[in-house]
Amino acid sequence: MIALAAYAPLIALVGALINGIFGRNLKEPLPGYIASAAVFAAFVLSVMAFFGLQGQEHGSNVQLWQYLSAGNFKLNLAFNIDHLAVIMMMIITGVGFLIHIYSIAYMHNDSGFSRYFSFLNLFIASMLILVMADSFPLMFIGWEGVGVCSFLLIGFWYGIKANADAARKAFIVNRIGDFGFLLAMFLTYKVFGTLNIADMLGHIQVARVLPAGLTAIALLYLLAAMGKSAQMPLHVWLPDAMAGPTPVSALIHAATMVTAGVYLIARIAPLFAASPSASMVVAWVGLITAFVAAFIALSQTDIKRILAYSTLSQLGYMFVALGCGAYWVAIFHVFTHAFFKALLFLTSGSVIHAMGGEQDVEKMGGLHKYMKLTSITAFIGTLAIAGVPFLSGFFSKDAILAHAFTTTLAPVALNYIAYIILLVTAVMTAFYMMRWYYLVFLGKERLSKEAKAHVHESPSLMTMPLGVLAFLSVVAGYFGLPEFLAKNQFASWLENSIEVDISFGHPPVWLEWTLILISVAAAAIGLGLAYWVYSRKKSKAMLRISNSAIAKFSQSGAGFDGFYNAGIIKPAEETAEGLALLDAEVLDTGLSSLALGVGLFAGLMRKIQTGYIRFYALAMALGFAVLVILAAFWGKLS
Amino acid sequence: MIGTEYYIALSAIIFSIGTVGVLSRRSAIMVFLSIELMLNAANLAMVAFARAWASEGALAAMNGQAAVFIILAIAAAEVAVGLGILVAIFRYRETTELDLLSEMRL
Amino acid sequence: MLSFVILAVLLIAGSIGVVSLKQPVHAALSLVASLMTLAIVYISLEAHFLAGIQVIVYAGAIMVLFLFVIMLLNVQEQKENKFAWMKPAAYIVGALTAIGLVANILQSPTPALNAELIDTIIAGGTAEGVAQVLFNQFVLGFQLVGVLLLTGIVGATSLVQRKAEIAKIEEDLANA
Repeated sequence: MIALAAYAPLIALVGALINGIFGRNLKEPLPGYIASAAVFAAFVLSVMAFFGLQGQEHGSNVQLWQYLSAGNFKLNLAFNIDHLAVIMMMIITGVGFLIHIYSIAYMHNDSGFSRYFSFLNLFIASMLILVMADSFPLMFIGWEGVGVCSFLLIGFWYGIKANADAARKAFIVNRIGDFGFLLAMFLTYKVFGTLNIADMLGHIQVARVLPAGLTAIALLYLLAAMGKSAQMPLHVWLPDAMAGPTPVSALIHAATMVTAGVYLIARIAPLFAASPSASMVVAWVGLITAFVAAFIALSQTDIKRILAYSTLSQLGYMFVALGCGAYWVAIFHVFTHAFFKALLFLTSGSVIHAMGGEQDVEKMGGLHKYMKLTSITAFIGTLAIAGVPFLSGFFSKDAILAHAFTTTLAPVALNYIAYIILLVTAVMTAFYMMRWYYLVFLGKERLSKEAKAHVHESPSLMTMPLGVLAFLSVVAGYFGLPEFLAKNQFASWLENSIEVDISFGHPPVWLEWTLILISVAAAAIGLGLAYWVYSRKKSKAMLRISNSAIAKFSQSGAGFDGFYNAGIIKPAEETAEGLALLDAEVLDTGLSSLALGVGLFAGLMRKIQTGYIRFYALAMALGFAVLVILAAFWGKLS
Repeated sequence: MIGTEYYIALSAIIFSIGTVGVLSRRSAIMVFLSIELMLNAANLAMVAFARAWASEGALAAMNGQAAVFIILAIAAAEVAVGLGILVAIFRYRETTELDLLSEMRL
Repeated sequence: MLSFVILAVLLIAGSIGVVSLKQPVHAALSLVASLMTLAIVYISLEAHFLAGIQVIVYAGAIMVLFLFVIMLLNVQEQKENKFAWMKPAAYIVGALTAIGLVANILQSPTPALNAELIDTIIAGGTAEGVAQVLFNQFVLGFQLVGVLLLTGIVGATSLVQRKAEIAKIEEDLANA
């Protein structure tokens, strides 16, 4: 029953092939249904694997075949379906299925309809390979596969140059992370002599490796995770990735692919647990990302960009959890975040669809009365991400805050700083999400004439997934209630896969309650402040908080793009121009004279080739004669 | 009984004479004739070896003679096709002189 | 030994005739003589069936074909020779090859022959003896040779066909 799940990627791949090869000839909704059916089948297999794993201590290792064998080095195409992988599989296929359904309506009448679904299925297949892989190279195949799909889908409307540029930017920045992954694999093989994940983790526990080696490997894997999960300073591709269709943003750039980095670190958690310094770097990367991204999100005006920066910030939270050694908490946040962020993206897709392609929040407002269902589900998502009690985001975010407060992995006092930064970030999160909601759905209508004529509630194919995701956003948190209230299902489930021994301080219950109250207060302050600010300021110019320098800094994305342009791209271009000059002046002259010499020599050799067959025959016979003479008088040739 | 090596040496000499013919004759048909000579030299060696292999049993020994039989049949087919080509070339070019048929060099 | 020497001299003389006689018809007849001598050599090697085949197929059928074509085309080697040095070069190379090969052969020992064994095993190289191998071990090769001969006949026929006839056939095909 568990082993069957190994065929889930195959099913998605077959769906991709069918749509990729025959899609052109299929009538419009059909490719969407084929793709959705494939993902649904994969989802059913994942759920079967989930129930199969109930009560089992170890996952199931499915060997399919050996695809690489060189001396002692062997690589199997093998899937490791354990408790951690199955959670990810259910997120990928479950959310993926809803987004496929949504896309059927969203991509209606698009000329690339079948191509879109082919890419989407290919993405699901790659992502499943990534999470199920039992060795690093196989994981890398999935890792690159999702990168390619991300590239293809960001640049889906490649006719517009900005989209194609965004796709290339995503690909190039991701290469930096992939480079880290490759180096990490090389080093892993050098140090541990294996590329099998379980074997490597087993070797760590035997501990014959110097801590420095472990830290180096851990940091390289962190680089890989930073690229894929868009952590600062490699985050610049994610906001631009919003050029793709909105369901793609929901699936790839919010719910699944960007969490691959979190998954990678959780998968090799014992490595990070054995290296406190690497874990500290993870935590700081996460902290900086969470804070700066939330700060940037405060002033963005593109409906999707706000959400993109919010995704960055939430990924930062997950990295903090990883850095604190609270691996199950990170995966728990992946789990809840997948639902509410996918929900928020899909509602914004619904809005964009209704507005006829408009993405600027300054040209929205008051949409609640036109599209009630979208508005209500968006509101649920907003509350969930802001951390309002009893919704899923509250539980996972609170768990991160609590574990950051009590971790023993970080040096003393550092965890309090981390806690405060996260708390401030939580206030900002609540603020920008309320701002987002208010500017889009409430307040004065600022719609253009065409948009106003066009605006309508989306078809039921789109609102149905919204409803399901809204429901999940509400209930998903109850799997991971705080330890002192009830048994934590999520943590005990993942303990089977993530075997680390990290202790957390156990504060008295009154302190736990205080921490919870503080985070509730943070959410309330953020939400209330945003509502107060935006309901008072009615004029269009006042949509931004102010025109101060700090606001401009936030609006420009904290200057990262400008910095990269001036610091890396410009010098690289200038160097390239210099090299081009060198190439033209020095190398080309040298090469052309070399070619001239070869030509002269060839002309000389050409004289031998007379074209008279007798010459060739004579040459052959002469060669034979020389051979036999040599053999006869100067010993045997052999 | 004459030793095998004498027959093989005779075969080698005939083969070399055939080579001379291939190299020195200018008419394609004469070259073809010389090639037949070389083919027969090889056949002679094969038959001589068949006799030398008698100690290995009838099946192994008769391999050589059976091979000669097959070569004979192939030679017949080869001659038919080869002469057909020559006739076709002659019709087209009015000659079978090899030096006048040098089209391998463009 | 004497008979072998006589046969060898005849064979070599005939072969030299093939490569040196000016008139193509003479050269071809010289080849016929060589092949006939070779048939006798086959008899001395206890290959009686092959000797017969050699006379019938080679000296008979194939050489008749050669003579026929030589006469049909009226082949005459031209007087002018662009590469006169080719001829001595060919003789030198041929002589070198012969010396090298013979020296090699005489250097390698060959096992002594057992006349009684040869008489019982080869049994005169009858058609039956050849057929035993041909229709058991080489049956596939035998079939393929049959196919090859058929292909050769068809190929030769189509090659020799006159252009006008080909054009007519193509026209018929186009009309059909």
